[in-house]
Amino acid sequence: MAAGSAFMVPSLFALLQSCQETSRLNWKPQFLSVKNAELVSSLVDTILPKTETPGALEMKVDMFIDLVYGKLNTKEGQEGMAAAMEAFDAKAKDKYGSRFADLSPEDKSAMLKEEEANSPKYNGSIWGTPAGVQEPVGFYRSLKSLALWGYFSSEEVGKNILTYDPVPGPYQGCIPLADVGKTYSL
Amino acid sequence: MANFNIDAKSNMTYDAIVIGSGISGGWAAKELCEKGLKTLVLERGRLVEHITDYPTMNNDPWDLDLRGAASVDDMADRQVVARSGFVGENNKHFYGKDSENPYREEKPFLWIRANQMGGRSLLWGKQTYRWSDLDFEANLKDGHGVDWPIRYKDIAPWYTHVEKFAGISGQALGLPQLPDSHFLPPMEMNCVEKDIKARIEKEFPGRVMTIGRVAHLTEPLNGRGQCQSRNRCDRGCPYGAYFSSNAVTLPAANATGNLTIRPFSIASEIIYDEELGKATGVRVIDSETKETVEYYAKIIFCNASTINTTQILLNSTSNRFENGLGNDSGQLGHNLMDHTYRVGAHGKFDGHEDKYYKGRRPNGIYIPRYWNVDEKTNTDKFVRGFGYQGRAERSNWGAGANQEAFGGEFKDSLMTPGDWEFFITGFAECLPNYENKVYLDKDKLDQWGRPTLVLDAEFKENELAMNEQIQIDAVEMLEKAGLKDIVGFDNKHGMGYGIHEMGTARMGRDPKTSVLNGNNQVHAVKNVFVTDGACMTSSSCVNPSLTYMAITARAANFAVEELNKKNL
Repeated sequence: MAAGSAFMVPSLFALLQSCQETSRLNWKPQFLSVKNAELVSSLVDTILPKTETPGALEMKVDMFIDLVYGKLNTKEGQEGMAAAMEAFDAKAKDKYGSRFADLSPEDKSAMLKEEEANSPKYNGSIWGTPAGVQEPVGFYRSLKSLALWGYFSSEEVGKNILTYDPVPGPYQGCIPLADVGKTYSL
Repeated sequence: MANFNIDAKSNMTYDAIVIGSGISGGWAAKELCEKGLKTLVLERGRLVEHITDYPTMNNDPWDLDLRGAASVDDMADRQVVARSGFVGENNKHFYGKDSENPYREEKPFLWIRANQMGGRSLLWGKQTYRWSDLDFEANLKDGHGVDWPIRYKDIAPWYTHVEKFAGISGQALGLPQLPDSHFLPPMEMNCVEKDIKARIEKEFPGRVMTIGRVAHLTEPLNGRGQCQSRNRCDRGCPYGAYFSSNAVTLPAANATGNLTIRPFSIASEIIYDEELGKATGVRVIDSETKETVEYYAKIIFCNASTINTTQILLNSTSNRFENGLGNDSGQLGHNLMDHTYRVGAHGKFDGHEDKYYKGRRPNGIYIPRYWNVDEKTNTDKFVRGFGYQGRAERSNWGAGANQEAFGGEFKDSLMTPGDWEFFITGFAECLPNYENKVYLDKDKLDQWGRPTLVLDAEFKENELAMNEQIQIDAVEMLEKAGLKDIVGFDNKHGMGYGIHEMGTARMGRDPKTSVLNGNNQVHAVKNVFVTDGACMTSSSCVNPSLTYMAITARAANFAVEELNKKNL
């Protein structure tokens, strides 16, 4: 299938793609197809837009997800995820008339509200692993989770926006939140 | 740092050989070396020097492309370990390669290996609890397994001995079922944990919640620094604040000048001399050159970790011991135990929204066993009991994944701490059962020509009955403690996830039904000692490592006395 060949010659595939369409990306995906990378870019920008603090795109969260997609998934996992991305765009086209990246901000928002309402949730976590057997949460919520991970584990957010405390010293169990302010980044 | 003596070429004969350098092997080496024995430690993997060989100890998430996750390629050789969910880029080098150490799972059994100097002492959870006579008398009283040949009074001084050197923090409570250690100051509970503790203890007389007892220094000890609450323990601690062989026992052994450690040394079998009626040494395969080398000693300590030790014994055959060294009873390889894992409840706590904490405390709370501890608490649903570990903390940005929200306000709301969350997860005692076993597969050899192992074990009726009770009690305690959005859970894990595998070469009073005597000597081969988890006769419900330490120190000192009396 087409997605398979993309992994064998990713740079060539990306190059062909970007010649054929005007890419919205200012970076070249290593693993995702350009179309899917554009979907990821527009999704993370909608989920974590720029405010007084930087947005996901400034933190290169889309590039990070490209890497995660390529490095943390088996080939089968990548194919499944690529298919889910294509299905997501097909749904956008079906309901709102075009692929997600090309929707108006209102339509993007409407679609994500629906995804939020319909996507299964993550189980609670015990020491970093799921409590109980985790059912699949679907493409949208897993991508949202990746977006949060990429954004909040970035150096700018981790060091300069959240509270960075690499060597806390002896544990203090009960202090005023006001003394700390933001969430710890580590 | 230590500059370990690894020259095992000039000398093939030692006073003692210790197979393995993890939690129990490190203690054997320290005790034997300090008593003046020239000791050779055989290490299956590479050397890991304290601090020098902790390359990832200061990494922040953004220092790594994948922010700490390990890639599919990195995990290709670690498919078993991957199931634990504990492995990433920062600690993967301390886990063994499963591809090099294949085993067959007749039933699902997660066997976590750590093949380097220090073994799993670099990775362990550091929870440290004394056993009590409730544990040592359990088999005798309810008839499961055989009677322990020791009681609390036999091991109590050795608990104190190892605790003073290892450094154990905790709160003394005077509970009969969970004797106090020689404690450093306890770590602190946070405000929510303190509230929940008060409510549980009020609502459930007889139940207690305390701060976890852990092998983390809460004040400096012997040149080691106190815990800095970084919670990056499994990468190696730059302060030496948690107990590991690498930071604590092996440097002490090395300081005597009596230690030689040989890395890349797979102990394939113990050499038995039929005329002498004792073991004379260990046959070693160099994992790099695949050459076989023999080392000789007066006494041999087996500390390769539970299942590996039994593999070595099963593979040590002779005319006298056709079915494995010391296996006259037929019990070698049987009675494999673990603790049940990942069954409990979690919920959210209202209040203390203006409070936070400082530090990533590498420790939680503990609720000691309260079933079947006396007449009032006896139940006919199951024998033995369980305890809980748990913790409260505030959720962070990760909670955003489940929130039905997105956009700028959503993003900025995740910059401040979220709800207080609390969980408890149970650890139930596992009965010794002859059917739960490991055995050699002589048709499938590893790359060094050794028979591989088959693991055939599962939790049975009593453990599953306790798991049911764990979840019921957990939900009830959280309800009465005033939590909301309570969810009970049971991951229904097979064995191994507790990473507390025990048994397979049990201690006992009768050579007909056990492998080891009350001093951890193989009944029929008195100069071979087994003091890792393989020796355990029952499993208690508390974490076993402290007991391995104490049993090892006790047996090592006994061995030296016997050598001095020329009894070995």
